[in-house]
Amino acid sequence: MKIGLIAMSGVRVRNAELASLGVTLPQFVSRGKVVASLPSLGLLTVAGLTPPGCDVHYREVAEISREDPLEPFDLVGISSFTAQIGEAYQLADRYRAMGVPVVLGGLHVSLMPDEAAAHADSIVLYGAEGAWPRLVDDFGRGRLQPRYEGLRAGVFERPHYAVPRFDLLAGRPYNRVTVQTSRGCPLNCEFCAASLRITSSYQQKPVDAAIAEIRAALAVRATSFLELADDNTFVNKKWGKAFLRAIAPLGIRWFTETDISIADDEELLDLLADSGCRQVLVGLESPDADGLDGLDPRNWKKARAGRYLEAIDRIQSRGISVNGCFIVGLDTHTPAVFEAVSDFVSRSGLLEVQVTVQTPFPNTPLYHRLAREGRLLEERPWDRCTLFDVTYRPKHMTVEELEGGLRWLFGQLYNEREFVKRKRHYMEIVKATMSRLV
Amino acid sequence: MGRGHIEAEVRALITDVARVDGSAIGRDEDLVERLGIDSLQGLQMLAAVEKRFALRLPDEDLVRLHTIGRIADLVERLQQRSDS
Repeated sequence: MKIGLIAMSGVRVRNAELASLGVTLPQFVSRGKVVASLPSLGLLTVAGLTPPGCDVHYREVAEISREDPLEPFDLVGISSFTAQIGEAYQLADRYRAMGVPVVLGGLHVSLMPDEAAAHADSIVLYGAEGAWPRLVDDFGRGRLQPRYEGLRAGVFERPHYAVPRFDLLAGRPYNRVTVQTSRGCPLNCEFCAASLRITSSYQQKPVDAAIAEIRAALAVRATSFLELADDNTFVNKKWGKAFLRAIAPLGIRWFTETDISIADDEELLDLLADSGCRQVLVGLESPDADGLDGLDPRNWKKARAGRYLEAIDRIQSRGISVNGCFIVGLDTHTPAVFEAVSDFVSRSGLLEVQVTVQTPFPNTPLYHRLAREGRLLEERPWDRCTLFDVTYRPKHMTVEELEGGLRWLFGQLYNEREFVKRKRHYMEIVKATMSRLV
Repeated sequence: MGRGHIEAEVRALITDVARVDGSAIGRDEDLVERLGIDSLQGLQMLAAVEKRFALRLPDEDLVRLHTIGRIADLVERLQQRSDS
């Protein structure tokens, strides 16, 4: 059985002015480029879950011509984020018109199953673990079902867990490898459309399994830079310290996403630095406590906002740069937020900054609330769910003020003078910690 | 310190920071394209250069130093300037 797994990779901005700004703003595009150039770990995991004897091929949508005949497969699996789902449906329709059965899966499909089912012979909801092996077996027996539900818990436990097929990346030009150590996030922010939507609780891989995967990934890629495909790696500090002690001897450099609480644990920070961690991406979301009110059910982020600057300093003083992420257009935000973010970034010494627009991804609590309040600009603005395009009416400003404010903020943050200032600040930190880093 | 020696030192620093064999990289090869060095590793490398040669690279050059040759030439110029 020849199976084609197709990733809808790439990050696109629909707003033409922002797209053109992005071309000239190096730091704005750099993280986007990194994300766009990462392989689909989800599909590599699906490949790992595929029963032996199947001939599995990994493809990215950029490799598929819109005009030429499609590569023939017995079965096609497509995974897509929301912004690219329209293209995923078109590709699925093309394959089905050829008589090739199509399976759709991933975050968007799990959030909008009925919509996706119209373009697929079968859909997989939640994790592929617990569903994909059964699906392939059913397909082989000619009894493919229209819908499979994967696991929402226990995804990293045998017999459901499988090591992703990193070998499928051989010969591909990625400069980072990705490994997942956890799925979900306990903070449960209203806007989040990440892996917590396909899990019932925070899932964490045993340390030895995570390290074995990292070794497997590094064995097929000629790179020493690892990206953990987690949404919040260090929720459990005890697990975190064991993981850091285990990854340190590998001698690699790596990146992950986590929350600001890592700054509260000196031992964890020292272990992070010694383990080769070079950057953490942290969702700060808003520069002050008032802006964070109600963002998560427990106001966890709001309670920590007053210590953001001190926390960033403590992390970066270890030579670990912080990529600080802000969301503009929250219901607490007025047009003053743009200057407040700019001021905060200037004072913070953050090496990298990521600013996005609040985005109501489908079937999230945020989407349902904005729909109830009649504030969505379109019912299904999926191709505008890019994190940079405005899809709803903000509470305390107009759509135009939000779009204009974002453009102004990009100009403030991503000009060469600010870019160099942040680089210089980080280099001085690196030099001060050089004996540890080099 | 001669240019050849400076280049050798820069290659050694690249080996340390990027964990690749710096001696196998051409003088004018783009480090981003050749090694996949990202901006973070690039900054760590330049910080290591400043520390090793006890000098400060001009801020305006931080975004342009993408080859061993450019880095070594600039280090040589800065050393000559401080000697004169």
